[in-house]
Amino acid sequence: MESKRSKYVLISLTVFCVLLIGLTSMRDEWLTPLRTGVGYILIPVQSGVNSVGSSIYGEITDLSKLRNAQKENREMKDIITQLTEENTRLQSEELELNRLRKLYGLDQQYGQYEKVGARVIANDSSNWFQVFRIDKGSKDGIAVNMNVMAGGGLVGIVTDVGANYATVRSIIDDSSRVSGMAMQSGDSCIIAGDLTLFKEGRLRITNVLKESDLKDGDKIVTSNISSVFLPGLLVGYASDITNDSNNVTKSGYLVPAAEFDSLQDVLVVTKLKSDMMKEEASKENPPAETQATEGASR
Amino acid sequence: MRRIFFNVLLIILAFTIQNCIFPLLPFLSASPNLLLILTFSFGFIHGKEAGMYYGLLSGLLMDLFYTGPFGFYTLIFLYVGYVNGICTKYYYEDYITLPLILSVLNELAYNFYIYVFRFLIRQKLRVGYYFINIVLPEIIFTVVTTLLLYRVFLILNRHLEDTGKRGDSNIV
Repeated sequence: MESKRSKYVLISLTVFCVLLIGLTSMRDEWLTPLRTGVGYILIPVQSGVNSVGSSIYGEITDLSKLRNAQKENREMKDIITQLTEENTRLQSEELELNRLRKLYGLDQQYGQYEKVGARVIANDSSNWFQVFRIDKGSKDGIAVNMNVMAGGGLVGIVTDVGANYATVRSIIDDSSRVSGMAMQSGDSCIIAGDLTLFKEGRLRITNVLKESDLKDGDKIVTSNISSVFLPGLLVGYASDITNDSNNVTKSGYLVPAAEFDSLQDVLVVTKLKSDMMKEEASKENPPAETQATEGASR
Repeated sequence: MRRIFFNVLLIILAFTIQNCIFPLLPFLSASPNLLLILTFSFGFIHGKEAGMYYGLLSGLLMDLFYTGPFGFYTLIFLYVGYVNGICTKYYYEDYITLPLILSVLNELAYNFYIYVFRFLIRQKLRVGYYFINIVLPEIIFTVVTTLLLYRVFLILNRHLEDTGKRGDSNIV
């Protein structure tokens, strides 16, 4: 009798799951209240366990780190002197740059977006997916599709937000696609995460036109044409660019600027590309303008 | 009753450890799938109905963590709990070989499920690479952890059952 009942329960739960998968793959926002509700209970537990774990682990590794730190410290001091020198030189150059920028009317200054710091509290433990969770959510102004950075480079994008947490998909995840461009030559490309390259710490660069001037070592930044990534964020450096067999495109690899194996703190850029595009559209197209140009600018 | 409460607590703890502690350890190239171990052990020890409910809980936790379609993990954990519950007729204490074989089979099925529905449908065909670099390490870690944890579950289970019985007789 009991086995029959459990069979019915199993079948009904299966049907329920399949229905839910179907529904939520079309509309994900229905689940936000549920996820947020559970988040209120689960997130404090997760961040608690995380901080306890990291402090214990930190204590253990501190000793070995200390020795390295002393050595690094000596090297750093040398670097600092070099950098101060360079800095003063750059400062004078920046003044010049600002003057020239004004001259050219370039009012977009990339890389000066407002950011919110967040701590990584949970990671996917299996190697299939590269997603992680941070301890800031919609309460702190985080929204879906915000860009996440660390160590000066792009790390990922917010895919899901609760009141006190947000889930971030790294750019090294197999399903991640970022449209990028070479900083010097302006050639566009697609930066794709690839699970088979994950161990080498590299990503794939594809869809580069063969005539383009992309070379090994070129800085790759997010492109203007991306719909979700803000323009001009550093992603990494190109390497091993070769011609494809189809003789139309080139492809290669990208060494990311951010380090992914030791992500602890990240910065979330609180400006959304969609807002930025709206602002630009309203700036460029006063209401009197025709429909056609508005469509083109989007 | 106390046992259920305890097991639920254990699943939530396993989920937190799996996502918050394991990724902190950089020397772990792969990590054991604790939720899978718990689900199948409970199914195997307590039968298919109990296994199914524990699977449901584990799956829901996983689904809440990820952004993708909701129910994806619930479905596989549900079946892991149920199918392992069927094997409960071969269960008797201190017999460790069958749980170990089951843990390998479960890991294979679980990773195959992820591969087919998340990678194969996007035309990622390098099965061999994925198997050697992702599935195999995880299986090894999971089997070793099963070896350690399964005994603990048994002892815990026996202890909780004893105290449960004693509590009942006291009331009577």
